[in-house]
Amino acid sequence: MTDLLQQLVNGLTLGSLYALIAVGYTVVYGIVQLINFAHGEVFMIGAFGALATWTVLFNGTTSLWVLPFMILGAVAASVTVAILMERFAYRPLRHAPRLAPLITAIGVSVFLQEAVRLFYPGAKSKLPFPQIEVVTGPAVHIGDITVQRAAVFTVVSLAVCGALLWYFVNRTKLGRGMRAVSQDPDTARLMGINVNRIIVIAFAIGAVLAAVAGVAQGLQNSNIDFRIGFLAGLKAFTAAVLGGIGNLLGAVVGGLVLGVVEALATQFIPGQFGGSSWKDIWAFGLLIIVLVFRPQGLLGAQVVDRA
Amino acid sequence: MPQRSVVAVGASLLVASLALAGCGTRDDSGSDSTGSGASQNKVAKIGVIAPLSGNLSALGKGIQHSVELAVKQANESGAIPGWTLEVAAVDDEGKPDVGKNGATQLAGDDDVVGVVGNLNSSVTQQTQPVFATAKITQISPANTGPTLTMGAEPTTAPKRQYPSFFRTCTTDLVQGKFAAKFLKDEGITNVATIHDKKTYGQGLVAAFTKNFEEMGGKIVAAETISADDDNFNAAITKVKPSNPEVVYFGGEYPQGGPLSQQMKAAGLNVPLMGGDGIFDPTFIELATKSSEGDLATSVGAPVDSSEAGKKFLADYEAAGFAEPSAAYGGYSYDAANAIINALKVSLKDASDAKSARDATITEVGKVSFPGVTGQVEFDEFGDTKVKVITGYKVQDGKWATVKTETVS
Amino acid sequence: MSTEPTPAGSELDFRQDVSRTDIDHPGPGFASHLARLAPSATPLFVVGSGLVVLSCFLSWSYDRSILGNVGIYGNPGSLQLIALVLGLFGILLALMRGPLRRFLPWVDRAAAARALGVGSLVFAVVIILAITLESSGLINVDPGGWLLLVASGLMALGGTVMQPTETEDPLRAHYGSTTEILVFVVLLAVGLAVVAYALDVKDGGSFVALLTGLAAVGAALGRGGFFQYLAVASARHRTVLTLGAVAVAFLFPFTQGGSDANMSIATQVLIFATTALGLNIVVGLAGLLDLGYIAFLGAGSYVGATMSYSAFATIDWKPPFLVVMVIGGMVSATLGLIIGSPTLRVSGDYLAIVTLAFGEIFRLAMNNLDGENGPDLTNGPNGVPAIPELEFGSFNFGDSHEVLGITLTRFANYYFLLLLFAAFVILIFIRLNNSRIGRGWVAIREDERAAEAMGVNVFGLKLFAFASGAFLAGLVGTIKAHHDVSVSPDQFVFLESAFLLAAIVLGGMGTVAGVFVGATILKLLPEKLRFLSDYRLLMFGALLVLMMRLRPEGIVPSRRRQLEFHADDEKLAEVVGEQHIEQEEARA
Repeated sequence: MTDLLQQLVNGLTLGSLYALIAVGYTVVYGIVQLINFAHGEVFMIGAFGALATWTVLFNGTTSLWVLPFMILGAVAASVTVAILMERFAYRPLRHAPRLAPLITAIGVSVFLQEAVRLFYPGAKSKLPFPQIEVVTGPAVHIGDITVQRAAVFTVVSLAVCGALLWYFVNRTKLGRGMRAVSQDPDTARLMGINVNRIIVIAFAIGAVLAAVAGVAQGLQNSNIDFRIGFLAGLKAFTAAVLGGIGNLLGAVVGGLVLGVVEALATQFIPGQFGGSSWKDIWAFGLLIIVLVFRPQGLLGAQVVDRA
Repeated sequence: MPQRSVVAVGASLLVASLALAGCGTRDDSGSDSTGSGASQNKVAKIGVIAPLSGNLSALGKGIQHSVELAVKQANESGAIPGWTLEVAAVDDEGKPDVGKNGATQLAGDDDVVGVVGNLNSSVTQQTQPVFATAKITQISPANTGPTLTMGAEPTTAPKRQYPSFFRTCTTDLVQGKFAAKFLKDEGITNVATIHDKKTYGQGLVAAFTKNFEEMGGKIVAAETISADDDNFNAAITKVKPSNPEVVYFGGEYPQGGPLSQQMKAAGLNVPLMGGDGIFDPTFIELATKSSEGDLATSVGAPVDSSEAGKKFLADYEAAGFAEPSAAYGGYSYDAANAIINALKVSLKDASDAKSARDATITEVGKVSFPGVTGQVEFDEFGDTKVKVITGYKVQDGKWATVKTETVS
Repeated sequence: MSTEPTPAGSELDFRQDVSRTDIDHPGPGFASHLARLAPSATPLFVVGSGLVVLSCFLSWSYDRSILGNVGIYGNPGSLQLIALVLGLFGILLALMRGPLRRFLPWVDRAAAARALGVGSLVFAVVIILAITLESSGLINVDPGGWLLLVASGLMALGGTVMQPTETEDPLRAHYGSTTEILVFVVLLAVGLAVVAYALDVKDGGSFVALLTGLAAVGAALGRGGFFQYLAVASARHRTVLTLGAVAVAFLFPFTQGGSDANMSIATQVLIFATTALGLNIVVGLAGLLDLGYIAFLGAGSYVGATMSYSAFATIDWKPPFLVVMVIGGMVSATLGLIIGSPTLRVSGDYLAIVTLAFGEIFRLAMNNLDGENGPDLTNGPNGVPAIPELEFGSFNFGDSHEVLGITLTRFANYYFLLLLFAAFVILIFIRLNNSRIGRGWVAIREDERAAEAMGVNVFGLKLFAFASGAFLAGLVGTIKAHHDVSVSPDQFVFLESAFLLAAIVLGGMGTVAGVFVGATILKLLPEKLRFLSDYRLLMFGALLVLMMRLRPEGIVPSRRRQLEFHADDEKLAEVVGEQHIEQEEARA
């Protein structure tokens, strides 16, 4: 029982991270029907942005007050990269056949990884991530279950970001614009909505959440490297599809489900096919199964919520 | 009219450039590279094939520079009269296909007589046959997989795979055995193993497990992690209830460091022990303070413990290479010197480098000299005879030597 | 929040976009300056070309050890030959005004001259840079080098200010069959010579300079309309061209003089290209995006490896190689069916991701199936090394053979086998493309719903594309296993799938030649540009992005595809339509 609860905690922590990244895929897909394959790299850039901010401005400080600055640095880096990406790589291809942006995305992804590896000092190997007081440190024990402080930070981040995003999409004018574009871009344009701007905002929103995820990842694992974006991006995309791509709540649910499945698969699948070396296979296998029986994803049916 | 003016401009520019090129000093070294003293010497090349770009480049560059150092010293001391040695470095990017092309390229160069490399076993598997066909000596400074020398059944029916392949580092079998004995001597009986499901990590854990169980120890849990992962909590949670006294980790420091840190953060407060893959300062950096008390084994006596080792490190420093010698510098230096020592015999009467290839393989098999990592000598499989392993422990944020022993 | 959308916003953006497309036209002031030079454009260009030719007979570099010795007077060598070609081509272009005009009325002389001039200038700059960097400093550049720079500058200037003349449409040019076939033969021979020469260039600077020179010639030919003509002409003589290309490919090992260095790259290019061709059926013809295609190659490889006589092989049944090949193909195709049948019913984007996930599953599973974390099948991370050479009868692929006094090495043996196989795959590809099935694929690719409404069996055809692509990859994989000697999971990472896709995209989707061009570029350039070592992947990423922006249809596009990317090009549409009708008539 303890094992089950502990793995649930592990899974939810991991899942929250996936969910934060998955939102980026889903928001962009909801607006322009584009799989921004390079979104995983936006997440990676966020982590490096936070590290750079800390190294340059607060090197050696581990007090809690630097955390907001690190998050800001992460967000700044991610959003800049995401907007540049949209402007120079995707926008010119908006009416091209859909293969073109996908291949561009692969190109952007490779380019960003290599750029960080080559030009960020020391990034050729793993870099230690600063351990900030309060959000890291000795774990919290609830009964027999250990909860990492960074895990709490991740889950709380997801809750806060999710709530803010919900408010933004459903209660602001811009959010209404987004929903309008997602439902019918042409009509939205006729109604006076600046579609280009909405698209940029979609990319930026995804980037903000990915940046927060980047910081969370750094705090959780105490290190980052230039390759973290690939697998995380792939998993997050899986999560987005799992939940129903284009559906915000779906991305969150999909992320959490995926994280829990991975953790439980490690623990409870017996024999040779269990353990960590098979958990990714089960996770991707789940994706295929869901697509077969419920192609629209777990929550995919709520088209109205697609922004 | 315009035509003529163009010609005029062209002509005057031509004159001006002639005049410009006329004055100033010329670079003389390039124009007669085969001039004076050097021209009497014949050229033989020692190849380096290692990841010189990509995420393993730090290790690869260390290998390259160490070989360069050995070759430079050999040339300066005139180790092989009548011959000048050169280094031909080729990048394998840590990828099998690229490595194979690089090996073919080296094999096609008639001046190449010996090669130091590769770093990754999966690459070596593809370069071995290429060098074997071309009869070029290949000495790996880093491949620890037993099958590379001893074939499919290294423990039960060892059979040499390629006569041209040697290595200066020991195999997983030796290191795993030492680690098992080390823990047993400390009175530890319950150990959990975790490996990264790569050739090196899995081989190390297999060797450890076998020896540890033979000595009466108990493997209470066996888990794997993925080298692509960063979050190992699921695996840690699975290992934790078995209450191990030590976690034996097969893998490299990029995963080992974070694993140690996450293990202790999750409340599994026991030392992590690993092989030479985690014996690196970066391990401590990545594992932060929680690495205190973690253990590692590494092949040979510590490089800086012997006179030869200290001299190597000092020379390396003095040569001013851009990258540090890294984990495999000493082995690469020894590998290069093994080839050089063999060349002393094989090149003596050779008319050209290519014809000396076959003899070099035989001679490398016979070398015996004191190297940086111990006495350099190869057994009938091409493995080093040095079976000296050192155990290290993290103390005050540094690797400290615990003991050095010869594994029988 | 001041975020209300401005109604004029989108319109404004639109206007900006329009002005940006005009960016490469110089401003009015500058243009009028240049316009004054227009009458002297041709003389400028001729003089420039002549001086470039002259410079080839002068020394470029004081340092003779670099760039294959360009420091001799009166005897052009190595890269100077390229400059010679550039100069002579320039003079030829200049003559286009007079007598040659009658034969080649479709050559856009001004555009070609401009491309050639600018290309030559870039070539000269690369030469100067290479001399500067490889030797020590600018001082090593000899007069010939400077003359080259100045002369190519003149060419660039002359070409830029040249006034366009009326030209006929190259797409309608037509010469006698004999002439056209002769042109192809010459082109192919030149191509073989150039490839053999380029492969021999070992030093990075020379190779870049060579590429720049070739690119300059290529750009001039392209701008002049030659390739457009060539495309139409090649459609007329497809068989000749194909046979010629096969002959050239067959002759290639004989140019290597027993050296393995290039043959090893060549065999890898062939493996890569043949695999990519299989993927092209899936992506280029049927329009299904497969991001995990490397897994099918891997499945074939593993079948080949585990059924070989390697001491590490896990399957004791050792059938003859041809049987193994078929089994490899079947296993791959079965995997393709398993993955394809559920996902091909859903939209294309999902397929991309499912295949990507499948690729990862395959790699991880191969890594796990070692008896410890699964059944003992693949030896896990160690893979299956020491796979013996192929042997057909008494012919062992590992041995060298003497043919006509030229040594053909192990790699040459595999090269011929792979060539044979590639021809087989090309045949399948072309037959499929021109069949009912091929037309069905096109219909699906362009509009799935319309195709379905027209009675095309959408699901069946998609599944067939997917499975046949997988089958071909499986076949290649079995050969690859023996060629590579060892098979391990890290050969089948996602990046390899991306490379395969990139080969198709770079070369041109849906064409055979394109795939081979793309595969050659992607496998050869990294080998030749080793001096860039660390920056290669970065450039690969940038290249993909730029390619998608500037020429999304690839280097050798299929006309139909080109139309998809340039929907507003009416001329092109018309020609494609005509060609289609011609082909139909020819068939009938």
